[in-house]
Amino acid sequence: MDFEFSKKEEQLRREIREFARRELAGRDLITGLEEESLDEDWEFAMQMSKKLSQKGWLTMAWPKEYGGRDASFFEQHVYMDEASYRGIPGMTMGVSGIGWVGQSLMLFGSDEQRKKYLPPIAAGEPDGIWCTAYSEPNAGSDFANIQTRAVRDGDYYTLNGQKIWTSCAHRARWCWLAVRTDASVSKKQHGISLIILDMKSPGITIKPIYNYAGIHIFNELFFDNVRVPVANLVGTENRGWYQLMQSLAFERHSVAPQFYGTARRILEIIIKYAGRTNLHGKPLASDPLVKHKLAERAIELETLKLFGYEITWKLSKGLIPIYEAARNKAYCDFVMQRLATTGSEIIGAYSQVDMRSKWAKVEGSITRLYMMFPGISIAAGTDEIQKNIVGQFKMGLPRPY
Amino acid sequence: MDFDLNEQQQMLRTMARDFLSRECSRTRVRELEKDSRGYDPDMLAKMAELGWLGLVLPEKYGGTGAGLLDLVVLLEEMGRNITPGPFFPTVALCALPLIKFGTKVQKAGYAADIAGGNKIWSLALTEESGSYDAADINCRADYNGTNYLINGEKWFVPFAHAADFLIVICRTGEVSNPQQVLTAFIIDTKCQGLKIELIPTIAGDGQCRVRFKNVKAGKQDILGGVGNGRKVFDFIMQSATILKCAEVSGACQAVLDMTLAYAKERIQFDKPIGSFMAIQHKLVDMLTEVEGLQYLVYYSAWLLASGQKAATQISMAKAKAAEVYQQVCIDGVKIHGAIGFSMDHDIGCFFRRIKSAEFMLGDRDTHLSKVASGIGL
Ligand SMILES: Cc1cc2nc3c(=O)[nH]c(=O)nc-3n(C[C@H](O)[C@H](O)[C@H](O)COP(=O)(O)OP(=O)(O)OC[C@H]3O[C@@H](n4cnc5c(N)ncnc54)[C@H](O)[C@@H]3O)c2cc1C
Repeated sequence: MDFEFSKKEEQLRREIREFARRELAGRDLITGLEEESLDEDWEFAMQMSKKLSQKGWLTMAWPKEYGGRDASFFEQHVYMDEASYRGIPGMTMGVSGIGWVGQSLMLFGSDEQRKKYLPPIAAGEPDGIWCTAYSEPNAGSDFANIQTRAVRDGDYYTLNGQKIWTSCAHRARWCWLAVRTDASVSKKQHGISLIILDMKSPGITIKPIYNYAGIHIFNELFFDNVRVPVANLVGTENRGWYQLMQSLAFERHSVAPQFYGTARRILEIIIKYAGRTNLHGKPLASDPLVKHKLAERAIELETLKLFGYEITWKLSKGLIPIYEAARNKAYCDFVMQRLATTGSEIIGAYSQVDMRSKWAKVEGSITRLYMMFPGISIAAGTDEIQKNIVGQFKMGLPRPY
Repeated sequence: MDFDLNEQQQMLRTMARDFLSRECSRTRVRELEKDSRGYDPDMLAKMAELGWLGLVLPEKYGGTGAGLLDLVVLLEEMGRNITPGPFFPTVALCALPLIKFGTKVQKAGYAADIAGGNKIWSLALTEESGSYDAADINCRADYNGTNYLINGEKWFVPFAHAADFLIVICRTGEVSNPQQVLTAFIIDTKCQGLKIELIPTIAGDGQCRVRFKNVKAGKQDILGGVGNGRKVFDFIMQSATILKCAEVSGACQAVLDMTLAYAKERIQFDKPIGSFMAIQHKLVDMLTEVEGLQYLVYYSAWLLASGQKAATQISMAKAKAAEVYQQVCIDGVKIHGAIGFSMDHDIGCFFRRIKSAEFMLGDRDTHLSKVASGIGL
């Protein structure tokens, strides 16, 4: 048994810390996801993506030929954790490209597709910004239920339909799109295909959806006879669902180290605040109630850390984690919720103060987390769906539906 | 024993539900969150016409002389509708202590204007610490032989920017004698030395910072007598707190109702999501907590209204209200899925108000401590 990172990995952690100190100058964004909302934040995030790419970190686990540096799972883990902890904007580039499009293209894409789409992602270019459009009004948790049609007509598909909750569509150059290419099938998982959509194509309408805190993350997408070259089909026609199940595994795997980095930072912020804030003439941190709450949060974080290590270790041994990622996603949601509620109890009435106001405490970080955690928990599959996966794949329980 | 509302209360509830669904749609609520005033003066005027502002004021001051339980019923409905505006601060935070502690002159001077909806009031109690512990009141009022001079800051004062008068609780003596040292004053917001700033909150619900610099108050402005501020404070911490709980209880019922309706209508995997046990059990837990809160609110309001000891039960209700409201909103949003996270959905209006409800009139820890001492700890 050994829980240590290697010297090389620890060195990487130090370099990231140095980088953040030098480059961010206080413009860290601790809770992620919102960098696509405001133009000025987005611009800064894009500058950072470029710099992260120059450092060789942005897509470090990719093979060299596509702009990566064949980094180990452990190095990537350290990067995800430390960069999230430091709140480095731009590390996910709107999530999809780095999160799963890259790996999926390596698995299922054609050579031309890899050559065309991977380098701009690895280079942190605006042309490497992707969004992902799976969900539709009637296809959320049950996303095999998608109805958006792609009808083949010679060398083109014609797209019609609607997507919803598409994060980052308003920033994206490309869309990783799931569509129905065969509507005659008896099982809805059949007949789905993955298609690369150029967001500049005529016939696409993007309508912003603001979240309940007024932040612009996601959008509605409408397709009105949008033409897509058949060359943009990824993998095999009508096999999209099965390809997609594999790419979802990538999406969920990076969740634990990223959340852990963020959560570790937030816990530190709360602990410092409790130490320097007095109530009835004594620091909040000396109150046993406050101490116990924070101690419980620390236990949860330590557990999350080990869940994250476990997946990375398994990957490094060539094993394919299945239920572990789902377990970690559900556990992350739980940890985030507890951290947000404890944090808000400790900063008290200030947790309702607008995040950007001069009166916000701890730069609005707790309030931001509080407003975001239910959304983060719903995105990429709700608690219930993750738990269904664990029940079925790990525990061998019968499928409930 | 009788859990039912009486006939008058049932009529009030029906009338309130009717009026609020007509005049205060959730779309309107969202508009008002963005409005710099944060409320609709016409709506307030109509409430006055319906007799709501004077509901608990005696008839001789233009009120209807109804009881605390009637106000509980009304505030539950307002909570269901998250009716924004200065109704709560005017009636729950100020009219009740005015009637309880005011001199004849004060009541005659102020009460009719409250009942008529002509004047807005608020309570300036908590300070920069956000604490509702009397020991944390530092704002001073010093007597200079003719006047009291008030100096200090009050925070999170609801609708101070719209208020004509504030009840301000100040320290007038030394900390060593906590029972004697607080005094409540009635202050005209137009007076010199008063500065009011809106604190931007997520719910845009009109909370303010109020700063006092040598604000003059005369003896006639004292509410409840010099050194009796602690009594006023304790009174408010019971009557206003239980009314806040009624509002929160109504909000919880609304979140449960909308979530339950959605769970029956939203289809995934060819079934209503409410048919999945994970969702059913969550909804059942919500129901149990929401009903439990409602009864705890009714019970403690009844204790208070019938002149019995109610402080412990009221603190139980407030501690529970904070917890239940938060949990119901979180589960409610999650059961709605992404749509619950979007600006256009009503549930967000409730979510944005969790913290305001939690911290006004004392957070969970404050009230848990009161419960602890109430049960002999
Ligand atoms: C911040 C955010 C960003 C997002 N970004 C994207 C994006 O970029 N691209 C994209 O395609 N989508 C995106 N989504 C959509 C996301 O994938 C869906 O919201 C999610 O899959 C849930 O679907 P739904 O919202 O339709 O909820 P529903 O599926 O309607 O679920 C509602 C409730 O029912 C429960 N439920 C459903 N089925 C079951 C079951 N079988 N057993 C038990 N409970 C069940 C759910 O857990 C949930 O509580 C995003 C969502 C959010 C909140």
